[in-house]
Amino acid sequence: MITSAYDVARQSFVILLPEILLLVAATAMMTAGAFVRVPRRVWYATSVAALGAALMVLLAQGSPATDPYSSVALGDAFSFFSRVLLAFSGLIMLALAHDQVDDARAAEFFGSILMIQAGSMLVAAANELVFLFVGLELVSMPTYLLLYLSRRNATTQEAATKYFFLSIFSSGLLLFGLAYLYGLAGVSNLKALAYLSGHVLGMPQGQFALIAVVFVVAGLGFRVAAVPFHFYAPDVYQGSPTVIAALLSWVPKAIGFFAMLRTVTAVVAAGDPGSGLAHRAVVLAWVVAVATMTLGNTVALAQDNLKRLLAYSSIAHAGYLMIGVAVAFRNRPDSPFYLGAEGILFYLTAYAFMTLGAFGVIILLSTPERPVETVDDLAGLARTHPASALAMALCLFSLAGIPPLAGFWGKFALFASAFGLGRSNDGALFQSLAVIAVLNSAVGAYYYLRIIVGMYLRPPTADAPVPRFAWPTSVAVAACALLTVLVGLFPSPLITATRNAALSVMQQPDPNAPAGPVATAARSVARP
Amino acid sequence: MEILLVLTVFIPVAGALALILAPRMDYRRARVVALGTALVALGFTAVLMLAFKPGVTTPQFALGGPEGPYGFLWMERASVRFALGLDGISVWLFGLTSLLMITAIFSSWEPIRDRPALHYALLLALETGLLGLFASLDVVLFYVFFEFTLIPLFFLIGIWGGPERRRASITFFLYTLAGSLLTLLGVIALVVVHYQYGTGGLTFSIPELTRGLATVGARWPDWAKADSWTSPQVLIFLLLFAGFAIKVPMFPFHTWLPLAHVEAPTAGSILLAGVLLKVGSYGLLRFNMAMTPAGARFLFPLLATLAVVGVLYGALAALAQSDVKRLIAYSSVSHMGFVVLGMFAMNTTGMNGSAMQMINHGLTTGALFACVGVIYERYHTREMGEMSGLWARLPLFTFFFILSCLGSAALPGLNGFVGEFPILVGAFARHRLSAVLASIGMILGAYYLLWMLQRVVFGPLREPHGHEEHEPGDVPPPEHTPTGHAGPDARHGGVRPVGWHEVAGLTPLMVFIVLIGVVPDMDFNDTRPTIAAIALPYQRMDEREEEQDGPRLGLSRPVAPADAADGPLTQVESKGRR
Repeated sequence: MITSAYDVARQSFVILLPEILLLVAATAMMTAGAFVRVPRRVWYATSVAALGAALMVLLAQGSPATDPYSSVALGDAFSFFSRVLLAFSGLIMLALAHDQVDDARAAEFFGSILMIQAGSMLVAAANELVFLFVGLELVSMPTYLLLYLSRRNATTQEAATKYFFLSIFSSGLLLFGLAYLYGLAGVSNLKALAYLSGHVLGMPQGQFALIAVVFVVAGLGFRVAAVPFHFYAPDVYQGSPTVIAALLSWVPKAIGFFAMLRTVTAVVAAGDPGSGLAHRAVVLAWVVAVATMTLGNTVALAQDNLKRLLAYSSIAHAGYLMIGVAVAFRNRPDSPFYLGAEGILFYLTAYAFMTLGAFGVIILLSTPERPVETVDDLAGLARTHPASALAMALCLFSLAGIPPLAGFWGKFALFASAFGLGRSNDGALFQSLAVIAVLNSAVGAYYYLRIIVGMYLRPPTADAPVPRFAWPTSVAVAACALLTVLVGLFPSPLITATRNAALSVMQQPDPNAPAGPVATAARSVARP
Repeated sequence: MEILLVLTVFIPVAGALALILAPRMDYRRARVVALGTALVALGFTAVLMLAFKPGVTTPQFALGGPEGPYGFLWMERASVRFALGLDGISVWLFGLTSLLMITAIFSSWEPIRDRPALHYALLLALETGLLGLFASLDVVLFYVFFEFTLIPLFFLIGIWGGPERRRASITFFLYTLAGSLLTLLGVIALVVVHYQYGTGGLTFSIPELTRGLATVGARWPDWAKADSWTSPQVLIFLLLFAGFAIKVPMFPFHTWLPLAHVEAPTAGSILLAGVLLKVGSYGLLRFNMAMTPAGARFLFPLLATLAVVGVLYGALAALAQSDVKRLIAYSSVSHMGFVVLGMFAMNTTGMNGSAMQMINHGLTTGALFACVGVIYERYHTREMGEMSGLWARLPLFTFFFILSCLGSAALPGLNGFVGEFPILVGAFARHRLSAVLASIGMILGAYYLLWMLQRVVFGPLREPHGHEEHEPGDVPPPEHTPTGHAGPDARHGGVRPVGWHEVAGLTPLMVFIVLIGVVPDMDFNDTRPTIAAIALPYQRMDEREEEQDGPRLGLSRPVAPADAADGPLTQVESKGRR
């Protein structure tokens, strides 16, 4: 294994190569954008090339080994899986965004998207509290810029301001929680923290750890749009351009859950089960999950605006995903049944395709003169534009969790993971959570079905949106719909990958074997 | 044979894909493609049914040998397998599906002119869902097919249905989805229990779960005893029950059915009543009765009450209808009440009758809905007040209609009788009062069916005026024709006689209505061994109880062979006992 600090730094550099590449490209684009005037498609091509290169590097390097107790970034299966997912969904988002901005602002626009990509991938790879926070902020700041950039009218201003202040507030909450997490053991390395809490300290400061869990979940709750930090989502989605709404519904949610899995769940689950901390954390996640999914689904029933509807739907999905967090608080890596983290990763993958696909259809149909705003605007789409209607229907059925589509297996994995813990101390909690989630998804099916009914069972309106042809958007939407079906029919490879990723985030290798600096410290504490 | 089974399940979906890829195909070509596909599937099904060996309890035609593991891995991680196979109960439902699909296609032969390719594609997709569901040997696979059937039926009702079609399709979809999601939880719970307490490890295989769960009681005593509402078997039974009871539908959960039936196009009604309702009773038998027997026994008072109330309520509601289709829809509630009552008798006689009655109800109700389609296509009304004496106008139709009504009313010698009689015998052995009350439902059934016949086909000829409004070639724009009706033959003064396609659709059903009534053993021989295995735990529980409490007036045991009247039934008893 690696011994010297130089080797560790070099390994981290190799792991972070994709992010560095993206940041360099983004900085170059934003700088050059002030001096040269080239058409939008040049900037688009550059950003696609940069992201494609990052994805290639990622795939080529696989999962390089590092010393988990000293490296700031990890190349484990979790990091590999989530970064590939983020980069791939980034390509889809770029395709959706390719004509959503005018030439003048294209450089900043695509540069910001690349920065968001880099930040989100940093979060997935981070193994250090500070580094994780930097990644989260690297996502937030370009998002403010994007919200201001695209359109300059009152609603966009309001959406941007709202998002800005709440984001700052949530970052503060998160930082507070992270500080307590650091205070638990005096290390900021996440793997070391989990190892120490499990093997050495046994979480003696139960209250301290609980404060950390509460504040970290609260801070990240804003990103994933969980109750009670959800209320910005509908307004911001509605007020911002559709492509930004698509980005907001996917990237912050994904990294929010990645960060939760990296920080709190691993630490709590590894901690002594007898301390009562896991129980309290489960109760917290239970309350957040139930409140989030119930509120999201019930309020979505009353929405007519498509973006608001999808906003509440994304809140509801955050609620389902919180089931996975609740389960992950209790999971041990030796559990052979579905793990909470496994459910989350699978669900997020399915969610990426189906949500981006649904937003993609709206983008494809909208023109500046005839924006698609409400459910009624889609009436009769099956006749005017059958391909778009089919893609939308597939994504919506998947969001509703109908087999054999990807969303079903996500729900299946989450429910199964909750039932798999039926025998543990909180068995009744987990079972009731699964029952509530199931009833919620039945309610949730209604508003997706309403859109499908509009598309297929209603005649088109007189001023039906005229489908335009934009091949990057069409390809992206087709890819989303196709992947939703393919993952649904052949879920096995994805399930294996999520399993490995989930295991790797929970594992703390024995520090006595290697000899990293922190490992040495841990060893010295372990053997007084 | 194994490959043939897989082919049979997936041939319809291949036809559906071909039709979807050619959406502009005209209705003549589309219906031929659909019919061809369905006929191939029916032919394969016939081969499978002829090759089916009665007296074998393990699934047949399954890849991987008779003892499993069946099929091949679909999801490595949770060892979910893609496993298809047929046993004594499912093989007949499999055949029923293939047969009724032909009737459904023939019944849409003329009326469907609006987007015909899509219509037939959805019908074929539905066929794959249903065939796959009955052949599934894996709970997850079963569930995937189970829910998948919702999508084609949702569109079939929603696009080609009656005036209230949108509401009907949404109600149908959400109602069924809500229940089936709870069923999914029940299924997961079964797998978890089996995995944590059983000896078979993590498996989703239906036969292995059934075998394994029977032994869980040895390692977890709570599992075997169900004495309160919070016992594990009772809770899991209720979770599973939620989805299947809605699908059957049992009494308080039936409200979606009349709406969906009345609004559905004829083909949709045939499949909905003929096959989809059986999905519920099949699931009850396969999961609830076979995997949580103690829970079923504990809940017997509730279940029997619901079944009997369903029988009587359905019959009384049918009496009050003036719309033929609504009447038949409510008669389904009543007849499905019989099916579940037979199951809940928890002895071989009742369960065999129940398995048989599923097929019978599919045949007769499918035929009845096809007959209603014949009327509606010509007169565009189903109000009994507007028509009478149709015998004079449509003699051939009258023959079909009367025969299916008599089959449905359980006339001895036709199929309904050999199904409902063992159900009543079995129920009588378990609980006298429920059998007595249910037999009142049988009388009422004869009453409303014969009354309907009297109003529709007998008496002086009086035709509705609806058909006169539609001139030849008067095909309104598809948006406004819910059923896309108005065939070219509906003209002043003359009503198109029953066409060859209607005869072709109904004749096979009539053949089976008579054949099963005369030779019930051809079905019973197949179901007996499978049912005996399902009924075994109940028999053991009854014996144990008798040892403890002494015989309860001799009612807890199945009736002795000598009491069970006629030939086939005595055989059911004697062979089914062990």
